[in-house]
Amino acid sequence: MDKKVYSEFEQPVYQAQLANGLAVHMIPMRNFHKTYAMFTTNFGSIDNQFIPYGGKDYIRVPDGVAHFLEHKMFEKEDHDAFDLFGQLGADSNAFTSFTQTSYLFSTTSHLHENLDVLLDFVQDPYFTAQTVAKEQGIIGQEIQMYDDDAGWRLYLGMLGNLYPHDPMHIDIAGTVDSISQITADILMKTYRTFYQPSNMNLVITGKMDPQETLNWVTINQQRRQFDSAQKPERKNDLYDPSGHDVIPFRSLTMDVARPKVMVGIRGLPVSYTGRELLHYKLAIDLLLDVLFDDTSDNYLRLYNTEVLDDSFSYNLEMQRDFYFAYFSSDTEQMERFADEVIAILESADQQIEAVRTRFVGIKNAEIGRLIGLLDSPEAQANHFGGQLFDNATLMDEITELRTISIEDLYQVAHQFIKSEGISVFQIVPEHR
Amino acid sequence: MDFCLQPGVNLHIIPTKQFKLTHVLINFATPQTNTNATSRNLLANLLETSTHLYPTQTALARQLAKLYGAYVTMMVGRVGRLHTVRLKASFVNDRYSDQPLFSQVIDLINQMLFHPLVEQGEFDSPTFRLQVNNLASTIKSLYDDKQFYAHQKLCALYYQSNSVMRTPSFGQLADLPRLTPASLVNTYQQMINDDRVDIFVMGDVQPEAVRDQIGTLPFTARLQTKQSAVFYNQPLHDDILQVYERQRITQAKLNLGYQLPVYYRQPTYFPAVVFNGLFGGSPYSKLFTNVREKASLAYYASSRLSPFSGLMTVQTGIKAADHDQVVDMINQQLTAIQHGEFDQATVQEIKDAIINQQQAGKDLATNVLEHRLVEQLLGLQPVKNFADQINAVSNEQIVKVASMAKLQTTYLLSGEKR
Repeated sequence: MDKKVYSEFEQPVYQAQLANGLAVHMIPMRNFHKTYAMFTTNFGSIDNQFIPYGGKDYIRVPDGVAHFLEHKMFEKEDHDAFDLFGQLGADSNAFTSFTQTSYLFSTTSHLHENLDVLLDFVQDPYFTAQTVAKEQGIIGQEIQMYDDDAGWRLYLGMLGNLYPHDPMHIDIAGTVDSISQITADILMKTYRTFYQPSNMNLVITGKMDPQETLNWVTINQQRRQFDSAQKPERKNDLYDPSGHDVIPFRSLTMDVARPKVMVGIRGLPVSYTGRELLHYKLAIDLLLDVLFDDTSDNYLRLYNTEVLDDSFSYNLEMQRDFYFAYFSSDTEQMERFADEVIAILESADQQIEAVRTRFVGIKNAEIGRLIGLLDSPEAQANHFGGQLFDNATLMDEITELRTISIEDLYQVAHQFIKSEGISVFQIVPEHR
Repeated sequence: MDFCLQPGVNLHIIPTKQFKLTHVLINFATPQTNTNATSRNLLANLLETSTHLYPTQTALARQLAKLYGAYVTMMVGRVGRLHTVRLKASFVNDRYSDQPLFSQVIDLINQMLFHPLVEQGEFDSPTFRLQVNNLASTIKSLYDDKQFYAHQKLCALYYQSNSVMRTPSFGQLADLPRLTPASLVNTYQQMINDDRVDIFVMGDVQPEAVRDQIGTLPFTARLQTKQSAVFYNQPLHDDILQVYERQRITQAKLNLGYQLPVYYRQPTYFPAVVFNGLFGGSPYSKLFTNVREKASLAYYASSRLSPFSGLMTVQTGIKAADHDQVVDMINQQLTAIQHGEFDQATVQEIKDAIINQQQAGKDLATNVLEHRLVEQLLGLQPVKNFADQINAVSNEQIVKVASMAKLQTTYLLSGEKR
């Protein structure tokens, strides 16, 4: 077991790799009452073409398999894993993103037993035709519920613009039609390919004794037989890496009180990996703060002219093989919002120059926000960088952020902001 | 550690080494009326936007950024019949910065609360107009969230027509045109001079230094609110009110309101918390397991207690066509509990989950402060043996509390014709 101490924050981090390939990361937090554990496979909704374990040829699975699998993992022949956590007084949950599926619990007691439940249920698949059919009904309802959520439709609409031919444009849960094609056999094939311990990690944060906790996990894994490790082969190549397939504009009519608009930028491929990629991501984060945060002149001007309001937000999402940023607001001036945001992005150089004297303050503010996240076991686990960022912790993120200079911002602005990657999506109220 | 700074102005310090952030909560409380919620929400927005010294929101935001991204926000809320305006601040402990942050944040709070952007008895008029528009937009947007909308409609139906509880804590659109830059100064003066004030500071702090710093805020003496004014109750309606509303939505929302006269930390409170967990307040509940999981009749189905107003609500997302079946099934779940039809293992699971949640809540600073605030407003001490109190709840007590629940209103929001 490796130990690293971040002395500034009096925060140790422990890492170990088990014989079966499972990576375990532990961040014990002093004076906390809760332990949070997250068991993650490097497999999400966009991984719909792959060579199944033991096979030779690529197969294509229906959209929504990763999320469907997540739901189905809890159900066993004679019990539901959810109930086992319940009997132990723990809260449990799971979520699926474009590139990962995570199973988690948080508890203030019975950590050992809860860890066993977590590892056991995720490593013990049970799929039958009946249980698959029942789940199709439940997930169908879930998809429909999100159909009424204007914020979600705006986000998915933007992904449809940015990645019209790639799996990111499809709802993570799939469609009512696609999930109807899922079978127990497809689930099992997918499971064997991506739920190998060597494709997974276990992150534990909060109250714990690291050595004891690692022993529990090790003993649990020694009790179980695993297939020999085989690195998953998947097809995630973008349909058009140059981004020329981006759809510049679409709109949708919905029963909403106020119009909503989003500007998106699709990032083009870069060669960075690991910490360099993290540096690149943090530099873009900081660039977006410089251009759009509430200390910027842009924000004040657009706020005072009611081009945007308190609902304004922006975000950068970087996942395996793709990344994009988006800016959205409720506004009566949808066209003007898009024009202004795009104009600011395209004049990034002048904007960066204008904040030169305030740059350190903007960076400190971002550092302060990340330090605040150290108070949350969930944030420590969710910020864990995994394979994408070479297992960077939140403390590594803070360290990396400190190294970013204003010159880095000019560079990432040129790399990231390309007019062919920019797009607009609107949600227009029905009655106009 | 508690200090009385002035009559009606109390400081509560909670030193802890658990957190890397320091948290400050300043709460202003006064009885809610039919009109003060809107003006106080607008006031909170004005105060957090700009001050005399920082006359634009950008100037204020830049000052916050300089303080290592300190957050200072203002918002409104409600505790029973009390309307509250809250200032919340959080910022990194001094040891992570190259400057003393605590005193600077208190200085900024001083500017925000005591030196607003007011000239000749009026709030700055461009700022005022903008914040009126923003508040109008925010209130409209809230109703885009159909779950929220359905809950608000249900509450409006449940509370009697003359009840102040009908007005949400964030206010209502209809009040906005009556507010002026001058009337808001009245609202401000009432709040700053007359409201009960509770100040909380939590973090790795020195209590004496905190008391001295907070002591620089020029609060004056005021009258205390009577504690009995917090809880709300109303008589039963003559009939069950049923309302159906149509909008273009895919998934129908069915919400139910029950009178359940159980109040925070009163003798029936802990039994009611367990009962709610069993009925619909947890994933092990009857609503979740029977209505959602077994019958697949709902994507979500849950119950919620309002322990300051004697109300319990049920919220579900369903197919409109299943409406009658779902209503029957919800009523069956309640009846089953009233007849003692539940097993001990499930009750223990629910108790464990409630205890786990309460323990875990200690790791969330804002949650700790929220509880301390409510306790202060009610004149209660923090619960000492929470787990014992939950574990001591008997099946008879659960049955008794369940039998107190009386269905009062049902509300259906649907995309289809009835």
